[in-house]
Parts: sequence; structure tokens; C-alpha cells
Amino acid sequence: MNYLLKNIENPNSFDVREYEKAGGYRSLKKAVEMEPAAIIAEVKKSGLRGRGGAGFPTGMKWTFANADPKFPKYLICNADEGEPGTFKDRPILEKNPHLLIEGMVISGHALRAEYGYIYLRGEYPDARDILNRAIKQAYEKGYLGDNVMGKGLKFHLTVHLGAGAYICGEETALIESLEGKRGQPRIKPPFPVNVGAFSMPTIVNNVETFSNIPCIMEIGPEAYSKIGSPDCPGPKLYCISGHVEKPGVYELPMGTTLREIIYTHCGGIKGGKSLKAVIPGGISTPVLPPSNIDCPMDFVSMPKHGSMLGSGAVMVFDETVCLVKVCLRALKFFEHESCGKCTPCREGTGWLRSILSRIEDGKGEKEDIDTLLDVSGNIVGKTFCPLGDGAGSVVINFIKHFRPEFEEHIEKKGCKYKK
Amino acid sequence: MITITINNKEIRLERPVTVLEAAKANGIKIPHFCHHGILEQWGGCRMCLVEVEKMPRLQTACTLFVTDGMVVMTESETISNARRSVLEFILINHPLDCPVCDKAGECKLQDYVMQYGPTAGRFKEPKIRHPEGLNDPLIVRNQERCIMCTRCVRMCSGIQGASAIAVTNRGNHSSMEPFSGERFDCEYCGNCLTVCPVGAIMSRLHRYSYRSWQVTDEIQTVCPFCGVGCTMIAQVRDNALMRVVPKLGLGSNKGLLCNRGRFGYEYVGSGERLKNPLIKKNGKLQPASWEEALDTVASRLKDIKNSSGGNAIAGIAGARCTNEDNYAFQKLIRGLGSNNIDSIARMGFAGGQRIFEGMLGPGVTSTPLSGIADSDAVLVVGGDPSEVNPVLGVHIRMAFKKGAKVITIGHAPGLGRHRTAGLLPHPQADGVVMGGLISAILKDKKSLPGGNRPLEEKITVMHLPSADDAAAACKLSAEDIGRLAKQLAGASSVSIVVGREAGGNKDTAMLVSVLSYILNARIYLMSERPNEQGLVDMGCLPDMLPGGRPLAEEGLRKKCGASWGIDIPADEGLTLMEMIQAASSGGIKAMYVMGENPAFNLPDTKNTEEALRRLDFLVVQDIFMTETARMADVVLPALSWIEKDGTYTNAERKIQRLKKAISITGMEDWKIVAEVGKRIGLKMPYGKAADIMKEIARVSPLHAGLTYADIEGGDNLWPYKGEPHKNWFSFPELSADAFTSPAEEGLCLMLEKPLFHSGTLSRKSPALNSISPEAVLRLSPATASGLNLKDGDFAKVSTEKGSLSLKVKIDRGIDGPAAFVSNNFEGRGLFSLTGYRLDPVTKSPLTEGRQISIEKE
Ligand SMILES: Cc1cc2nc3c(=O)[nH]c(=O)nc-3n(C[C@H](O)[C@H](O)[C@H](O)COP(=O)(O)O)c2cc1C
Ligand code: SF4
Ligand code: SF4
Ligand code: SF4
Ligand code: SF4
Ligand code: FES
Repeated sequence: MNYLLKNIENPNSFDVREYEKAGGYRSLKKAVEMEPAAIIAEVKKSGLRGRGGAGFPTGMKWTFANADPKFPKYLICNADEGEPGTFKDRPILEKNPHLLIEGMVISGHALRAEYGYIYLRGEYPDARDILNRAIKQAYEKGYLGDNVMGKGLKFHLTVHLGAGAYICGEETALIESLEGKRGQPRIKPPFPVNVGAFSMPTIVNNVETFSNIPCIMEIGPEAYSKIGSPDCPGPKLYCISGHVEKPGVYELPMGTTLREIIYTHCGGIKGGKSLKAVIPGGISTPVLPPSNIDCPMDFVSMPKHGSMLGSGAVMVFDETVCLVKVCLRALKFFEHESCGKCTPCREGTGWLRSILSRIEDGKGEKEDIDTLLDVSGNIVGKTFCPLGDGAGSVVINFIKHFRPEFEEHIEKKGCKYKK
Repeated sequence: MITITINNKEIRLERPVTVLEAAKANGIKIPHFCHHGILEQWGGCRMCLVEVEKMPRLQTACTLFVTDGMVVMTESETISNARRSVLEFILINHPLDCPVCDKAGECKLQDYVMQYGPTAGRFKEPKIRHPEGLNDPLIVRNQERCIMCTRCVRMCSGIQGASAIAVTNRGNHSSMEPFSGERFDCEYCGNCLTVCPVGAIMSRLHRYSYRSWQVTDEIQTVCPFCGVGCTMIAQVRDNALMRVVPKLGLGSNKGLLCNRGRFGYEYVGSGERLKNPLIKKNGKLQPASWEEALDTVASRLKDIKNSSGGNAIAGIAGARCTNEDNYAFQKLIRGLGSNNIDSIARMGFAGGQRIFEGMLGPGVTSTPLSGIADSDAVLVVGGDPSEVNPVLGVHIRMAFKKGAKVITIGHAPGLGRHRTAGLLPHPQADGVVMGGLISAILKDKKSLPGGNRPLEEKITVMHLPSADDAAAACKLSAEDIGRLAKQLAGASSVSIVVGREAGGNKDTAMLVSVLSYILNARIYLMSERPNEQGLVDMGCLPDMLPGGRPLAEEGLRKKCGASWGIDIPADEGLTLMEMIQAASSGGIKAMYVMGENPAFNLPDTKNTEEALRRLDFLVVQDIFMTETARMADVVLPALSWIEKDGTYTNAERKIQRLKKAISITGMEDWKIVAEVGKRIGLKMPYGKAADIMKEIARVSPLHAGLTYADIEGGDNLWPYKGEPHKNWFSFPELSADAFTSPAEEGLCLMLEKPLFHSGTLSRKSPALNSISPEAVLRLSPATASGLNLKDGDFAKVSTEKGSLSLKVKIDRGIDGPAAFVSNNFEGRGLFSLTGYRLDPVTKSPLTEGRQISIEKE
């Protein structure tokens, strides 16, 4: 049973009429009859956790924002989707935009917010057009505007295009960017729920998080909480790339194991080759060796197996892949995307990248591996935001699981996988 | 009460502060780069990491607020390792060129590496290079040394309000850049330079000239340029001034400076300084001995007194001279039997203050600068504080950032981005607008505050125009006036900042007083020179004796005269422009000018010069050969601000000490005056400046008993230890046309008060000249295009008084049909184009708003 990708096979799924035909906006109809506090209570009860990466309980976040007496409040949908390997929000944005809009209007009602923004990844121009068209339709149909569903509720929605910085997916940097400033994270506390966009209480949620709201409304929090893992229930979008037979976005119950995802749903490793490594939740989550793939993919279980769920972006590498190169590629990304605010990340990512680069090129030296570990250790836990932590832990985990491969590069003065 | 433990020491705090602040207040130092007491928090450098019990990660002490029961360790092996690693990260792309870095010795990076290491580098890769930026005349930017703490950016946008620099690019390619890549919007305050912890932003003035530890003396003194009176430290090496720096938290400026104060000091070392006395012989000024020069001055003055009476002698005192200099000077003039003593304070400052005090009570302008930033509404009238008194302007910008309403009447481009509203009536129609504002506020408030009965009686018969009539008269919208009135009426703490153009016009000044009264607002009187207030308080006025005692009160006059051993004439003397007129008509035959340049600084230059030329005897005492000095019969070289002791009184009426930092041969102004005084038989037994202060403390009831020790000890606020004069109430008549707007339309000629210059003194500062080298004609883009003029074109500006050829500068900060010309550059002053009319009460020359024609050349 699909909730998030329902109707996705319909070539006109993005159209409001098709969405309505498939039962769309019925949850909104229900919600506008409810007291805002009751909606928050239902979301809390559902056990929904944010799908942006950190898995923060959504109901709790809403409760905090709701408790702040300042108005206006703002709603922001984080559609920056910039983490390498992550493309799970894209099908919603491009194929099911009304699901997101419906989720945001309900959330707006629940949180007594009258303005919402969708902060959209700059490299998603198609999604921008589709969203804008959908928003226009929603206005025409009275789902948005000064009198939502004729109930006198006000909710307006604007799409704001990012300019291509990964850090602007981090919620406070996103807010800075939305305000027209340089995209760099802010000091927390105060948290956005109290001092967010334009210094007002602001709720930032991921595309997929908002898209779960209509489902909770529709089936009720009890039924919802029975989907998938008990600690963090609900349907989850997993996006799988790399060496599998059928890469793509899959809607599965939260907590499906990596093994099931790779071998059952994605048809196993491409060309019958063997699995070498998996990055389970986007580039900043720790890499796992094949021995760890029986872990359930949810926010609670993954840390117990040495990684994190992150955005649910699974990257699969087969035996032909040079993992030093993967690690190098990851660090190139972090160096490029480091916003430069804090010293360890700004300087450390470049340093790690240059050492990895030398190793991959066959110019590595014996002490380089220790230096990599030491420099990474000096980054992790000391940066301003999780981006830097991610960069350091990527290196630590690649070396932890695949040290011999690094050593071989140094000893043999080069990469045996190079074609 | 919050109790925390830092390094096993229990600390109690009244309110939640950051761990770093709590530690600092208790003498515990936590290393930091990006934190700075006056800047917004940042939390980026990670140097201040500390351990906090029950918190898994190290925490940044600069951002973490204390909570009750918190247990913090600021030093441990883990912390040292973390700090060492932060330093290692900073150093990997740092050029380590300490041997040629001017910052060495006062660089935080050096100091912390000394403390925590690392001693050897592990970084084998090539460093990111970034060539030093040398295209700026004053500021050297070395981005290789930059540690990206963003203190400079936060200073520039958060405090200074210029937003001239920003971080560009990302990650390890980030760099601090002026927005345009050159010098766009930079106000050259150099405050970014103060806060840069490393050698990434530095002054070009002392580049490669000394090392910080070679400074032999640091002397706290006051800025010589304007009436804000910023506190600064003069750093001296082997009797040479190396640079001036502010000090965080010190003085009303609290560690800020403007470009003039920071970069303008080089004039003291100028090769053009006057060294020898000069006497005009055969029509030419020729070197003479001090004896000869002083004897000549004394005997010529005596002769003229004997032949034409004391009234034929006049003195112009110096707004850059100290209280001691000016006190001695007025004593000399009065000793010569004349009350013809005045100064440039006449051009708005003194007259305005007289009116404010007359209507509201003595000391009304004695208002601490800090009050501005705490106001919830600031009204600016008659000048641009950001240009005239830049650091005061910064306080207004800070108020704006804190959410205050900032309203300007008249041109104030420096507040263009920091105001909530601006009204731009015809320059001679400030009165109507203010009349309308007052009516609207009274309507809103429904009643007068009660308290100053005589004033309220006068207000009720003032015939104020209604907001609608006022708006119609000066072509503004009545709604705007009404809205501003509401904002002002609704504010609980209002500051009114008044420029000299408003102070000099009695009607405007009276209306400011009324506004201040009904709003219970503080008044800040802008002061263009460092000691205008001192001129007033020392009695350099034709109708006032030291301490603000009216000459007309016989008892006071007699007492003062007796203490000097002379008879002070009873008749009021002439005011500044009246003296010039009298010189022109032959009534004044001798003039003694101390530290002023009337031939250039007074309006109607040609006639003023003419008048000075007609004098039988002109003495000019100065540090440079000014336009006036060139015309003198005797020129007496004086010492500059950094070479003498004394006091200045700033716009807040705070007396501050000037301290001698450098010794050169020569005499202070007061000493020269005393030498002349002795030669005419006056008692002026002064061995040092303090001796004069002792006499002031005896003679001036306002300064009774005041000593340098008191002043330095902070006992320096008006009314000091003395007594202000009683019997102060006075209420002049409003002019019949106080509430009319001139009918004439078209371009108005306005005086530009450039941010980068101050009088004619700054001409001798190479640094200031390099950023502002020439006189220009500033026009709004609309005016310029209407005249078919482009940036850099030459245009001829003509009035009935003459014409000037000037380079056109298009200035987006200017609104309305105004042409701005400064009065700072030789042969290119606005005052050569303007006549004036004397205000009947303040006796200020009013010059603005004259019609002009501009033609492309
Ligand atoms: C470097 C960085 C990048 C991030 N990028 C995204 C992103 O692209 N999309 C997203 O939804 N959340 C992203 N996040 C997480 C957000 O900060 C935030 O936690 C999330 O939007 C909250 O929504 P949720 O509670 O619905 O998960 C990022 C966080 C970091 C530190
Ligand atoms: S860890 Fe620091 S430098 Fe890196 S992205 Fe976050 S704030 Fe910017
Ligand atoms: S000198 Fe002043 S205005 Fe210029 S960049 Fe520095 S802080 Fe900004
Ligand atoms: S130039 Fe100086 S103050 Fe500015 S960011 Fe760099 S190191 Fe900090
Ligand atoms: S504001 Fe005035 S006193 Fe302060 S530094 Fe500038 S010129 Fe000097
Ligand atoms: S001083 Fe605390 S992070 Fe820079």
C-alpha cells in the first residue's frame, strides 16, 4: 500500500484533478474541521519522526513552536535535497506536489501559521515549475489563499529557489538564505521554533515529513503508528543508487532491512557481482561492510549497527569499486560545500581531501593514514554544525572498515582499480 | 541568582551570561578569536572550547549561556588538544610570515600558538595563496593571514553600519572583500582594523615602520578633529607618533573611531608645520626671533589700544585650541580693553545652545552619547551626524538597529540606510515642518507636559501651523508629518540631534526646544570642532565671561575683572561676522587670530579677505601657513594637539584631558598668549597648563575647584563641581516668516561636511587626502542627468558672489534638488560662493539655500 507515491504511475499525477480523484485533499477537509491543538496531538500520537535526516519527533517540534506566543509563525518546507545520493523528495515534488501542499496547509492550520515557504534545491528547475503550477491550482481551488476551504483560514505558499549550496539544507542556514543572507548556520539556541525566519517562530520540516501528514489524518494516528518500526513508524522513501539491478525510489515500511531493500526490492547486485560496501543514508552517514546489512533501516536501529538512517539514501558499491576513491570523492564534496564558518571543517576538509588525493594517486606515505584519522578526530565533535562532523566520520569509518585498501594504495603506490 | 563552577571555583551571577563572560569577569581567561565584547556572537573559530559536565561534546564558551549548577573546566588535556588542533587547522593555510607582519607582537594567533602549540606542522600540501591587496590607499588586506573570524564584517555591518565588506566565496576559499572589489561604501573608520585579531587588515600608514613592542609610550588623549571627543591612545616611539588606536570600552566612543581620528594624525609630522615666528617686512613674511615677534605683537596692540581704544581690537579664539589656551586668550583680549572676542562656535553651535538653555534650562545639551543608542526615537535636524560627528552617527545607527524610529529632517545621506523616515523640505523651511510636527504631536498628546510654565505660555501663543498647513507650505504630505508625529509622540525615550545649521537659526532652534520640551527629549548638539563647547565655557564670547557668566551682570564682571587685575569693559563686544564687518568699515583695526582660519572658514570669502586686508595689524597664531596666516603681519607658530597638555570640552560637555605625547621645541598657544599678555602688563604667571586650570577653577564658578586629577578620575561631567548660572529663562521672538517656505524653486547650494575632512587642518593629512583628494560638486543622479552631467565631468557653479569650476560626483545618497560643495579645499570652498544673512538673535551667518546656476564645462 503506497501513501507517499500513491498514483505515481498516473502520467498526470501532478494535476490537482487527478490528485482529487485519487482521494486528495480529503485529509485537509477533515483537518479544517479540527482544532489546531487536536491535529498536533494526532501527529504526536502517530510517532512521526522528521524525514530530513535527524529523525526529530515532529509532534514534539510542533509542540515547541505552538508554545511560543509570538506571531506570525512561519512554515518552511525543506526541499533542498542536496546530500549526494539523495533523491527521495524528488518524486513527491515532481509527481505528487499536491500531497506536499495538502500536508503543508494542514500543518499551517495546526500551527496557526499563515505563510509557508518551500525552499527548493536550485538544481530542481522542473520541480519548481511543477510546484508553482500546483500552487496556482491550489489557489484556484481554494486550498490556499485567504479563505482556505471557505473556512476563513489563511495560508499562502511561496517557492524559494536555493542557489546550490548544500549547507542551505541545514535548517538555520536555510533560514539565513531565505532572508537573503549568506547561507551559514546560526547559533542554536535559540532554535527556529522560537526564533526562526524573520526572527519569528518557524517550523522547518522535510518534504517527506509534511507529505506524511495527510496520511496520518486519513488513517488515524493509531493505524499509522502500526506501519513499520514501532519506535519510528510510518511509510519511508528509500532511494537506492549504485550497483543494483533496479535502482530508484521505493516506498517501504520504516525499518525494512538493508538486505531486503537491496536483494528483494532492488533485485540484488548488478550483474551478479558481489557487494563490497554500502552507504546507507546519504554521503555523510558511515559506510557499512556487507556483514552489517541485516540492520533495519530506521532512526533507532541504524546507530546500533554503526551507521545512521540519514535521508535513507542507499549507495551500493560492488567489488569493482575503489573505496579510497569513494572516500576521496566524498571529501571533495565536503571541502567544496563547507561553508567556511568554523575552523575545523573549513580547513580540515581540504586537508583530508588533499591527503586522500595523494594516496589515490600513489603518492601516499605510511603515516598518512594516522594523519587522516587524527585530523578527522580533530574535526568530529568540534565543528559548528553536523556537516563537518559528517566529513570527519566518513573518513574514520572508511578506514575503520577498509584500512587494508588504504594501506595497499600506499604500499603499491597506486590504485589497482584504475582502468 | 545563578551559581556555577568554573575550574573548581564557585561563581555567582546575577543574570545568565555566556561562560566566556562569566569566566572573564572572574579573571579566568578563555582563548578566543571570533568573540568580541561589542560584536554579535559568532561561534565559528572554535578556539574557546571548554568542557562542561553532563555535556558529551566540548562546548564553545562564547555561545554557551550559563545555567544554574553548571560545572565548567576551561583547561585540561582534552581542551589543550582541541585548541592545538584548531590552531593547527588555522596555520595550514596561514603564510607564517610573522617576520614581515606588522601585527607580530600583538597578534592573537601568535600568542595562542605560543601557549598551545603546535610546534611543528604536519601539513605537506601546497597552501592556498591569496595575494596581498594593495590597491587601497589606507587599508592593507592580507587574506592569507585571515582566519575567517568575521569580526571585521560584524563590525562593519553590525556596529559601523557601513556594510562595506563581506565574506565572499565559500569554505577554505572564503575571503573578506569589499563588495565592489574596491572601495565601495567604505567609510574608512578603520574599526574593522581594530577588531581583526591577526594581520589581515592593517593600516598602511605605519606599514613596516616599527614593531608593536618597540612602542615606548602609550598616552591616552582625545581626538583633535570633532566635538565627539573620542578617547584615543597615542603610541609613541622615540618621540615620534607611530599611530593612534582606540581602546575597547574607553571613552564615550567605547573603542570606536572614525576615519579622521584614526588616520588623520599625520599632520603633526608634516614638513609644512610652521617652525619660526614670522614678521611681515617689506610686504613679505620673514623669519624673526620669538623676542622680536612677541615684542612686535605686544607693542602694536598697545599702540592701537592707545590710539583707537580697546574696542578697535578683536580676537578670534580657536576651536581646536584647549580650554587653557582659550581662557588665556580671552583674558588677553579683555585685558586689552575689548570684549570683541568670538570664534567659529558662532556659526550655529553657541547660538543654538544659548537658545536651548534659555528655554529649557542650563546644561540641556549635556547629554551622554550612550543615551542615543538607548532611545526608541531619534530625530535629526539640520545636519548629517554621520559626517559631522561620525561616531555619534554610529550611535544613531545602532539605535536604528535596535528598533528605534530614526527620523531626519533635511539632508542626512549618512543615515540613508538607517532611518525610518526622512523629510526633505526646502533648506529654509525646517521651521514650517517642525511647526507642523509640534501641532500634530500636541494634538496627539492633548496637553502640554506642565512644568515649565513660562515656556508653555509662550508655546500657546506661537501660532503654530497645523500639520496640513505645514505640509501644504513645504510641499510634503500631511500624512507623513502626521505619522512621524505619532511615532515621536508614542516614543518613551527620544533624542533630538541638532546640527549647526539648525542651531544657528533662532526659529529652528526655538522649535527644537519646544519639541524637546513636549517630548521630554534629550538634545544633542553636533559640534564640528573638538572644543567648541570649551570656547563657550571659557568665555570666548562677546557677552559672556568664563563659566557662562553674563558680562552684563555688573557684580560678576567686577569680580572677574578684579581677579585678573583689570577693568573689564561693560559693553558687549562684536560677534564673529560683526567683527569682520567692522574690520571692513574700519572700526576694528587690529585682530588676533588663534588657531582659526577666518579668511577661508567664514562665508563670503572675498569680502572677508578684503576686510582682513584692511586691518592695521593682524596676528595669526597657528601650526600651518593658512590663508589667514599669509595675510598676517605677524605669524606665531604654535604646538599641535599631541604636543601639549590641556583639556577639551566635548559635545556632551564632558571635560577631557589632552596629554602631551611628543616634545618638540616651540610654545603652546597659551604660553604664547601669556608672553604677549605679560608684555602688556597682564598677570599671566603660567608655567604649565595645569596652572591655568587652577586659575579657571578660581575664576569660573562653573569649574570651581576642578583639577586635572578630578577630570582624570571621571569627575568630568557638567556642571563639574561648580554651579551653572541661574536666571536663565529667555524666549526670543519668533520671526514673522518662521513658518513660511521660500517660494523660490530650483537648485539649492548646500554645504557638504565631508566625512573625510575637518576644516582646513585635514588638508595636511596625507591619508585623508588620499581618500578624498579634491573638492567636488555632489549631485543626485536625477539632478546630474537633468543638467546633462556625468561623473567626472567638470561644471561651473555660479552664484552672485562668484563661480567655481568643480568635478562632478554623482551621489546616490542625495535626494532632491541640491548641489553640495564642501569648504575644505584651498581655493575651492563653497564659502567663496555664498553671501550670508545674520540671524538677529544667534548672530550666526545663515548661508544655505542660495540659488545657483550650474553649467557643463
Ligand atoms: C549539512 C546539512 C544538510 C541538510 N540538508 C537537508 C536537506 O537537504 N533536506 C532536509 O530536509 N533536511 C536537511 N537537513 C536537516 C535539516 O537541518 C533539518 O533537520 C530538517 O529539515 C528538519 O526537518 P524534519 O524534522 O522534517 O526532518 C540538513 C542538515 C544538515 C546539517
Ligand atoms: S561544520 Fe562549520 S564550516 Fe562546516 S558547514 Fe558547518 S558551520 Fe560551515
Ligand atoms: S573601514 Fe569601516 S567602513 Fe570600511 S570596511 Fe572597515 S569597518 Fe567597514
Ligand atoms: S580579516 Fe581579520 S577580522 Fe576579518 S575575518 Fe579575517 S581575521 Fe577576522
Ligand atoms: S568622531 Fe570626531 S572625535 Fe571621534 S574620531 Fe571621529 S573626528 Fe575624532
Ligand atoms: S571565540 Fe568561541 S567560537 Fe570563536
